Amino acid sequence: MMLQPVRRPLGPLKSLLRRNRQAQQFVARSMATETTPTETAASSIPPPISTLAAAKKPTKFHVIPSKTPGKPIRTAFAVYAPPPSARAAHPNPLISYHAQQIRRLDRTGARTALFSKKNPDAAKPGDVLQVTTNRGEPFAGVCLSIKRAGVDTAILLRNHLTKVGVEMWYKIYSPNVLGIEIIWRRPKRARRARLYFMRKPRHDMGNVEHLVEAWRRSRNVFSSNKGRGTQGKGKGKGGKGSK
Amino acid sequence: MIQLKTMLNCIDNSGAAIVECALVVGRKRHASIGDRIVAIVQKQRGASDAGMGSASAANKVKRGDIRHAIVVRTRKQVQRPDGSVVKFDDNACVLISKAGDPIGTRVNGVVGAELRRKKWSKILSMAPAHA
Repeated sequence: MMLQPVRRPLGPLKSLLRRNRQAQQFVARSMATETTPTETAASSIPPPISTLAAAKKPTKFHVIPSKTPGKPIRTAFAVYAPPPSARAAHPNPLISYHAQQIRRLDRTGARTALFSKKNPDAAKPGDVLQVTTNRGEPFAGVCLSIKRAGVDTAILLRNHLTKVGVEMWYKIYSPNVLGIEIIWRRPKRARRARLYFMRKPRHDMGNVEHLVEAWRRSRNVFSSNKGRGTQGKGKGKGGKGSK
Repeated sequence: MIQLKTMLNCIDNSGAAIVECALVVGRKRHASIGDRIVAIVQKQRGASDAGMGSASAANKVKRGDIRHAIVVRTRKQVQRPDGSVVKFDDNACVLISKAGDPIGTRVNGVVGAELRRKKWSKILSMAPAHA
């Protein structure tokens, strides 16, 4: 522990700065990850290899050697150029397909940013998140792990409901997920990516209802102070100023 | 994954506390949320147990009774059609009669929302929460 400042001289400063920045953003952010529904699936499918016209024109005809040297016989069999390789045109189809799907499902890019590794203010394992779906009550819980898998990216939330532990996986790009909100930040960064140890009674957070309640209360205070009026829960379009 | 010999918590006020699975009804393999099982009451809820109020409802079943039950929570994760997954920390069930009516009058605890898909909305409406 004594060696810690030597190894990371800017460690405490960095975390302080981060907390300060988050405190500022927390005020302005409401339903930051709401994605606009997509009516028109204007998916930009890469056009198929449109070289059919070029391929139709025979480049040359097959020739066979004849008895007179220097004058081969030209046959009627046309020789076409091989079609361009699809593999060369699309080096990694799955990655581009995932990118296209994410573009379609997350128009604003807010969801991507919320779980991006590059974003210093992204949601991280250990934070308490709340997922609002299009049916039922919103589910809040501590994030145990983030499975990064392109458009299948999912988060695992754990909470206690009626004193029974409940874990839910949610796909972050699912059209059924209306919003993901950060309820509470873990004060210190978790030193693991998968916090499965929090299932053990010794490390279990228990019910996070008090955190959700505090977050709701603080949000109401700020929204009324700024004179924006009360924002509709779940559809806070006007409230996302920072993002 | 409820199968022969699985011990489940009984979360209604029928009087059973812990039941043992004897048969999975209508399935070749294990039971999941919303599936029907035949259960044997292994442990009765004592009269001293807090929360189980009325004495009339508390003695509907005794130790050794064989009843039908509906699985309402499983440790094994259950995937929903939209890709989300739910997993509970215990296995729990609610006792029903052979006709399909709940024996207890209350359900104490969260139940899986799969019950709606499996047409057990009577149990779902008795539950205080569903996930």
